[in-house]
Amino acid sequence: MPQVTLTVNGKRHTVAVEGRTLLVEVLREKLGLTGTHIGCDTSQCGACVVHVNGDSVKSCTMLALQAEGAEVTTIEGLAKPDGTLHPMQEMFREHHALQCGYCTPGMVMSAIDLVAKHPEGLTEREIREGLDGNLCRCTGYHNIVKAVAAAWPLMHQKAMPQAAE
Amino acid sequence: MDAWLRPTSLADALAALAAGPRVILAGGTDLYPSHVARPLPGPILDITALPDLRRIEAHPGYWRIPCLATWSDVIGADLPALFDGLRAAARQVGGVQVQNAGTVIGNLCNASPAADGIPNLLALDATVELASRAGTRHLGVADFVQGNRRTARRPDELAVALRIPRPAGPALGVFEKLGARRYLVISITMVAVVAEFDPAGRIRRARVAVGACGPRALRLPGLEAALAGRRPEPDLVTPDLAPLAPIDDVRASAGYRLQATEELLRRALGALGTSRARAA
Ligand code: FES
Ligand code: FES
Repeated sequence: MPQVTLTVNGKRHTVAVEGRTLLVEVLREKLGLTGTHIGCDTSQCGACVVHVNGDSVKSCTMLALQAEGAEVTTIEGLAKPDGTLHPMQEMFREHHALQCGYCTPGMVMSAIDLVAKHPEGLTEREIREGLDGNLCRCTGYHNIVKAVAAAWPLMHQKAMPQAAE
Repeated sequence: MDAWLRPTSLADALAALAAGPRVILAGGTDLYPSHVARPLPGPILDITALPDLRRIEAHPGYWRIPCLATWSDVIGADLPALFDGLRAAARQVGGVQVQNAGTVIGNLCNASPAADGIPNLLALDATVELASRAGTRHLGVADFVQGNRRTARRPDELAVALRIPRPAGPALGVFEKLGARRYLVISITMVAVVAEFDPAGRIRRARVAVGACGPRALRLPGLEAALAGRRPEPDLVTPDLAPLAPIDDVRASAGYRLQATEELLRRALGALGTSRARAA
């Protein structure tokens, strides 16, 4: 069986996989990182979003062998070793941006990528559009959008520019 | 034959294809969802480790979009208003994560009748650069896409890049699509237009393509001819939709598709008029 070597949350792993094995299956079943969820398995819901080499991708739509040599970050890799949450996680908690929590890991991973890639600021509309690959059956999105806007100044360590509001 | 190859040079990739047919895999956003819980469709050639095939580049007579350029790369590239239609399509393909993974050439080679990229590539007059051990050939997108999920790519060939010719004067692209909702949906119909303008602001020449209204996207030469020499506005001409052959399916009836296409064409011409100042 072919092997794939990848770095997940800073740790290198080599695992044997079939050609058709998905990245999400490696994360959940081989590495025990079950924080990454599977909602639809057909690239629609975003519960499975992780970062691969700095971009958010749907790990249910990436074959594990394609991650050869890649740096992967999952929801488990966000908090500091002492348990301090990433600002995005903190703001999700603060703004009650989750109910059942099923969508939350993917939502948080997408939101971090969105905020990081928009150093010029984000409007509410841009936040909503930027998260359109992530579905939430519970919250109605409103508090998620608030949490993302609140995390922007924390991640960029400055106030959100006026122009973007 | 190895079930999975991930070559790190183009020469190795072409050698593998010369040895026998393989399913070519780039972003995987079409391949995987169509094979959920089933074996992969054949031995795979994963091209994502090939070097120097990601950056969109401007050349003297054309732009080159290589085979690993993603939709996000199109959105982020410094491209003129000629590409506004392709950029709009890029923003509407799936969500951000699919845009980060899926490639423009993958969308073309997958050749779905509802591919958002293809009408734009037709309107841009794009050609496909096909490489094999036997050499390189260039085919227009209209000749490359032959039907529903059928292309002119030989099994030993790799579509390595697209070339988009530089227009003679200021040009603008627009893209309009209709789906049951705005995002994450397969289009019912779509319209892409690229217009080149003369100094007086009249259309020097236009290329108009319609997708999801037949086994493959098509240009509308009758409408294109009627637009030449005119100033763009919504009710300029009654479009000749004769080349289109839409189907009835779960998403829409054929009649609805034609009616919606006419409306999208009107909107596209309106957008050409209002955004003309962007053309450069
Ligand atoms: S499980 Fe990946 S998008 Fe739904
Ligand atoms: S919190 Fe339940 S799906 Fe989003």
